[in-house]
Amino acid sequence: MTTLSVTINGRSYGPTEVRDELTMNDYLREYLGLTGTKFGCGAAQCLSCAVIVDNPDGTSYTSPTCIVPAASFNGKSIRTVEGHAKNGELSVLQKAFIDHFAFQCGYCTAGFLNESQVLLERLAKKRVPRAELEKTIAEALDGHLCRCTGYIKYHEAVRDVILADPQRYLV
Amino acid sequence: MRASRRDFVKLLTSSGIALSVSRLALAEEPSFAARETLPGRQNWNPAATGAGRIDGVVKVTGSKLYAGDFRAADLPGWPAKTSHAMIIRATDATHIYDGLDLSRLSGAMKPAAIVTAEDLARIGTRVPGFYAGDLFCPLRRTPLYLGQPIALLIFEDFDAFDQARLALRGATVVKYGEETGPITRPPYAAFRFTRVAGPTPDAPDVYSPVKNGWVSPGVFDDTQHPVWARLPIPTGLDYAEAAGYGEDIRAELAADNPARLVLERQFETQSADPMFLEPESGLAWYDAGRKNLELVVGVQSPYDAAESVAFLLGEADAAHKPAHINTLFAYMGGGFGGRDHTPFPMYVALAAMFFPGRAVRLANNRYEQFQSGIKRHGFSIHTRMGVDRGSGKIFAFAADHVLHAGGLMNFSPHVASVGAVAALGIYYAPKVDITTVSLPSRAVTAGSMRGYGTLQAMTALEVLVDEMCTALPLDPIEFRRRNAIKPGERTITGNTYDDSIRTPEILDKLEQHAIWRERAAEKARGKEAGILVGTGVACAHKNYGTGADCSLAAVEIDPQGRIAIRIDDTEMGTGVGTAVANRVAAHLGGVANEVALAQIDAFGPLALVKSGDPYTIDQKTQDAAARNPRWVPEISSATAASTGAHVGTHAAAEAARVTFRFGLWPAALDLWRIGPKDPRAAQWQTARWKTGQLTAPGLSPVPLSDVAARAHAKNGITGAMAHGFNRWAWSQADFKIDGQNWTADIDALALRRGAGKFVRLDRTSVKFPPTDFSRFGTTYTTQCGTLVRVEINRSTGALRIAKAYTVFECGTALVPQVVVGQVQGAFAMGVGGAFLETLPLYEDGPGNGKWNLGQYLVARGSDLPLRDLEIEVLPPVNANERPKGMSEVVMNPVVAALVNAIFDATGHRFDSLPVTQEMIKGVLT
Amino acid sequence: MKRKLPARSLLAVAALLAIVMTAPAVSDEASENLAPDNLAAPESFATIGDSAARSAALFTEAGKVLTHPRCVNCHPAGDRPRQGDVRRLHQPPVERGEDGFGLPAMRCPICHQAANFERAGVPGNPGWHLAPRDMGWEGKTLGEICAQIKDPARNGDRSLDDVVHHVAEDPLVGWAWAPGDNRQPAPGTQARAGALLDAWVKTGAVCPN
Repeated sequence: MTTLSVTINGRSYGPTEVRDELTMNDYLREYLGLTGTKFGCGAAQCLSCAVIVDNPDGTSYTSPTCIVPAASFNGKSIRTVEGHAKNGELSVLQKAFIDHFAFQCGYCTAGFLNESQVLLERLAKKRVPRAELEKTIAEALDGHLCRCTGYIKYHEAVRDVILADPQRYLV
Repeated sequence: MRASRRDFVKLLTSSGIALSVSRLALAEEPSFAARETLPGRQNWNPAATGAGRIDGVVKVTGSKLYAGDFRAADLPGWPAKTSHAMIIRATDATHIYDGLDLSRLSGAMKPAAIVTAEDLARIGTRVPGFYAGDLFCPLRRTPLYLGQPIALLIFEDFDAFDQARLALRGATVVKYGEETGPITRPPYAAFRFTRVAGPTPDAPDVYSPVKNGWVSPGVFDDTQHPVWARLPIPTGLDYAEAAGYGEDIRAELAADNPARLVLERQFETQSADPMFLEPESGLAWYDAGRKNLELVVGVQSPYDAAESVAFLLGEADAAHKPAHINTLFAYMGGGFGGRDHTPFPMYVALAAMFFPGRAVRLANNRYEQFQSGIKRHGFSIHTRMGVDRGSGKIFAFAADHVLHAGGLMNFSPHVASVGAVAALGIYYAPKVDITTVSLPSRAVTAGSMRGYGTLQAMTALEVLVDEMCTALPLDPIEFRRRNAIKPGERTITGNTYDDSIRTPEILDKLEQHAIWRERAAEKARGKEAGILVGTGVACAHKNYGTGADCSLAAVEIDPQGRIAIRIDDTEMGTGVGTAVANRVAAHLGGVANEVALAQIDAFGPLALVKSGDPYTIDQKTQDAAARNPRWVPEISSATAASTGAHVGTHAAAEAARVTFRFGLWPAALDLWRIGPKDPRAAQWQTARWKTGQLTAPGLSPVPLSDVAARAHAKNGITGAMAHGFNRWAWSQADFKIDGQNWTADIDALALRRGAGKFVRLDRTSVKFPPTDFSRFGTTYTTQCGTLVRVEINRSTGALRIAKAYTVFECGTALVPQVVVGQVQGAFAMGVGGAFLETLPLYEDGPGNGKWNLGQYLVARGSDLPLRDLEIEVLPPVNANERPKGMSEVVMNPVVAALVNAIFDATGHRFDSLPVTQEMIKGVLT
Repeated sequence: MKRKLPARSLLAVAALLAIVMTAPAVSDEASENLAPDNLAAPESFATIGDSAARSAALFTEAGKVLTHPRCVNCHPAGDRPRQGDVRRLHQPPVERGEDGFGLPAMRCPICHQAANFERAGVPGNPGWHLAPRDMGWEGKTLGEICAQIKDPARNGDRSLDDVVHHVAEDPLVGWAWAPGDNRQPAPGTQARAGALLDAWVKTGAVCPN
C-alpha cells in the first residue's frame, strides 16, 4: 500500500492508502467516479485514458492512466476532461471540437482534448513555424486512436484554434 | 412537459415479465434518463445553429453518458456499492472442458458467487433462438467456440475483483481433458440466388428469386457442406430448378468462345473486429424483494436486448424470475454493427440474478472484447465473370461465397444473403448464379459489422473488374459505365430499385478528377523519383435497410416552442440524435431542446401488438392481423449505420408533419386571423420556416413561440407519436383527424392536445408492404466511388496514400458535417481493412484472450492522407428526396481502390486481405 | 452425386496461409524458452587455441545477448522501437525524438516508469530510452554489429572498455535479465554478458565473419 495525495482539476484528493497494483485509471473511474477519463485498451495503445499532468515548473504532459500505478501520481497535479470548462464556460478547444464536429461516438474525445490542450500550451511556450504546424499536430496526436472519425476533423479543429491566434502559437 | 417524463405503460412479454425503462425514486443524483436526454432543456444546444451536435457538450466535458460510466452510486435508488464480475472463457475448443481451478483465489480474492452452466440449468434459464448455443460451456463438453464463457465470477467489491483478475492473469484456470477435435455442425445457412433474364429487357425473368422464391440446398455431404449440384431426388424440387439454371450459367461461362472473356478468380477477405473504442459493459441490480431487475447497457438493439433478457429468465424458478425488468439504455449504443444483437446484456442480467441485492458491473477489457465481441465475417469468394469482348458487357456472372461465421449463428444467415445479393455490386448481368454458405466453426462469433457482407463481396468484385479491364482491355470507367445497372433493370434477386441511381454521375466525377486524369503523368514522375506510383478506382453500392425496419418516435412542442423528441434508435456516433433534431426542425421550425434515444417503452399510448415473423409471414396472415388497428409486423428494430437517417428519423418526421398540419398550422391561421373557410387555410404546404419564423405567401412571419403558445392556448395538437414499418416500402395508413383524412407513411398514430396525454387514433385503413417484398433483398441503394493514388517505396514496400477522392450520394443530407465525418471515418476503416487489420480464426486468434491493439492494428492519423482526402457529396436529385443511409456505402469502394492502386504501382494483383508491407515488399524483389 | 464445395481450392488455402504468415499481427506468446544458464562462460572458450578465433567466438556467444529481443527492440533500425518477444513495432507509434526519449508528446518514461508494472505488463527502468539511431542493430549480422560496436562514431563515442562497462553495469541494460512477466529475459546474466565482452576485448576484439 502506498499513500496517495493527488490534485485533480484543482481539487485535492487524499491522502489515501492505495494498493500498489491499482492503476490510475481504476482510481479515477472506480474510486472517484471520474469516468470522463475513459478505459479503451488497458495497454496504452489507444490513449483514450490520457490525462494532463502539470509539472511544478509550469510545463505539462499527458500520461495514459491505464498502465500507470495510481501511486505514481502521489504529489502530482492533473487535469482531466471534466476540468477544462471553467465556471460552465467551455474552453476554446472544447468549442472548436464541437464546431468542427470533431468527434462522433466521443469515446476518444477526452484523450484528444487533453493531448491537444497540452500541445497548445507547449506551443504557447515554444512557438513553431507555420510550415511545421501540420507535422507538429500530427506528431502530437498520432498516439491517439479514433475509430469513428478518420481524425481529420480533430486535426482541423486544433489547427484552426492555432491559426486563430498566430502570434501566440506560431513563429 | 419534459421528454424524460414517460408514459409508464409497460410492455408485457410472453413470459409475463413486464419490461420498461421507467425510473425509480429520484434522489440528488440526476436520473439516468435526465443524464441521457440531450442536450437538456437548460443547456446550450450547438445543433440549434448548425454549429455542432446535440451531444457535443456532454462529450467534451466528460459527462456520464456511456453505459460504462455508470456505477450504482450514480443511480438514484440503487444500492450504494458496486460489485464486479468477470467471465472466465475457454481458450481451447478441441478438448473436453474438465473443470475450473480457482485455487489462486483465496482469502479476500474468493468470489462471492460463481455461475456456471450447471447453475443455469438448475434455475431453468432459456436461450433465445437467435443466440442458440450454451451460454456457458457445460462440464465435460468440448467448448463450442474459442472464447465461450465457462463461468461468471462475482466479487463483493472492486478491490477483491481487481486483485483476483491480477491473480488469474496468465494462470491456467480452465482444465481440459481428452481431445475431441472441434465440434462440427451443419451450416448456419446456405442460399442460391439464380436469375435468368427474359429475352428482352421488358420481358419477365425466366427465373429469379423474386419470381420463384429463395432457395437453399437441402442436402449436405459428410463434411457438413451443402451439396450445390442439382440432385435427381423427389424432394427439394425448388432448389433443383435453381441449380439447373445455375449449372447452365456456369456451363456457358466454361464454354470456349473467343468472342468472350471469362475470368475465374479466388479472393479471401479477413476476419476483423469492429474495434469500437468503448468496450461492452453493463450494470445490473436484482431487488429480490420487489422481484425487480434493473440493467444499464449500451447496445444498438435495445428492443432485442430487453426481450432477450426477459426470455432468458422467463421460465426460471421463482427465486430467479423477475416480475419486472427495467432496462436503462445508454445514449451511445454503437458500434459499427458489433453491438447489434450482442449476447452481452444476458450475461449482465445473470450476474445480477445470481448476486441479488447488489449492483453488479460486468465490463470487458480490450482483451476480452477481442475474445468475445462480434466479428466481421471473413469471406472466401470464388468468382467467374464473363464479358462479351465486342460490347464490353457482362453476359454472365457466377460466384460462390463461403463465410467463416464462428461459434454462434447470430446474423450469419442474413450476412450471407446480403453479401450474395451484393455480389454484382453496381453492375447488371442478365445471368447470375450465386451460392453462399455460412459455416460454423470454433472461431469467435461473427455477425453484423459495417458493410455486412457487401464490403467483402464488392471488394472481391471490384478487384476482379479492374483485372477484367486490364485483360480486355477496356478503360475502367468506361467498363463501369457500360455495365452499371440502370433504373428499371433488375437486380440479382429480380427486382428493381425504388431509388435514385447516380452511378453515371459518379463515374463522370471520377473520370474528370485530377487523380484519375493525371495517373499516367504521376506514374512517370514517380519513376523519375525512384518510387512506384499507382492509381486505383473502385465503385460500389450499398443497400440500406433490412427488410423489416421499424421507426418509433414521439415529438412534442411546449407553449414556449421548445421541442422534445423521443425515438427508439440509438446513437452509434453517426449523429442520429442531431439528424432527427434537424429533420424535425424542417417541419416544426426549431431544433429540439431534448432528444432521448434508445427508447423502447416510451410509446405506450400506441399500444402496439405484433405477431409472427416480419420476414416470413404470409400475405393472408398479414392481411388478417392488420385488421387489428394496433397490429404491426414488428414494433422496434435495431439501429444500423445505414438506417439512422432513413429509418431512425422517419417516424419523428411524420410525427412532426402531423403536428404541424393539425396543430401549428391552425394556430398560425388564428394568429393571421384566417378563418377555416378562407382558401388560404388549406395552403399549409406553401408554408416555410425561416430562422424560427413561419412564413407563408403574402402573410407576415410569426415566430415559433407564438405559434406554439397559440396551439396550447386553443388546446390544439401539440405532439404526435408514430410508428412506421418498412419492408422495402413504408407501411401507409389513413387516419381521421379533426374530421379530415390524413394519409401518411406510418401505421400507428397518437396525438396530444395542449398539455394532455397522448391518445391513440385508430387507423381507418392500412397498407403494409406485401409479404413477398421479403424476396427483394433490397430496393434501396446508394452509390459511391473512390479514387486513390499510392506511392510505394521500392526497397521497403512501405506504402503512402498520396491522394484520395470519394464521391457519393445520400439523398438529402440531414447533417452535412456528420455525413462528411462518416466518409472520413469509413476511409480510415477501409485503410485498416486493406493494409492492417486481420484476425486469425482459431487458436492464434482473438479467442485466445491475448489480442489487443498492439497486434490488431487500426489506422492511425499517420496512416491516412489527412490533408489529401477530398470528399464530394452529390446534391439530392430534388429538394424532396429522402435521406438515404450512407455510412456503409462510403467504406465499400475504399479497400478495392487501394488494392487496385497497388496493382497499378507494382503490377501485382493481391487476392487476399490485408495487403501488408511485407507482402508488397515480397513482390518487389 | 456428392460434390465438394467448390470455393475451397488449394489456391484459397495458400492465400490464407499467406495471411497468417505475413500479417503484422502475431501472438505475443513467448518464443522458445531460453534458460538462464544458456550463455557460456568466457572460460569455456579457453580450449580455442587461436586467439583471434577465440575472440570471435566470445563475441559470437555475447551476440546471443546483443541480438536478443530485449536488446534489439530498443536498438532498432529506424526511429521506432519494437515490442515483445515477437518484435512487433511499438504501439502506440512512439519515435526516438531528438534525445532518444521520444517526441515531445510521447516521452518514454511517462509509461515506462522506474520499475516494471506487472499489473499492466509494462516494463520499466529509470531512464528508459532508445539507443541512438547509429547504434541500431536490427536486421544486421553479428559481424556488422561487432564492427559497429567497435566504431566510436557508431557506439556513442565509447572506448571498448566503455562498451564492456555499458553491457556489464548499465542498469537499463540490466533490465534485459529482469524484464518481468510475459517477456523472455536475455540469456545468461548481465555479469556473464559483460565478462564475455571483457574477454573479447582482451583477446583483441576480433569480429566474427
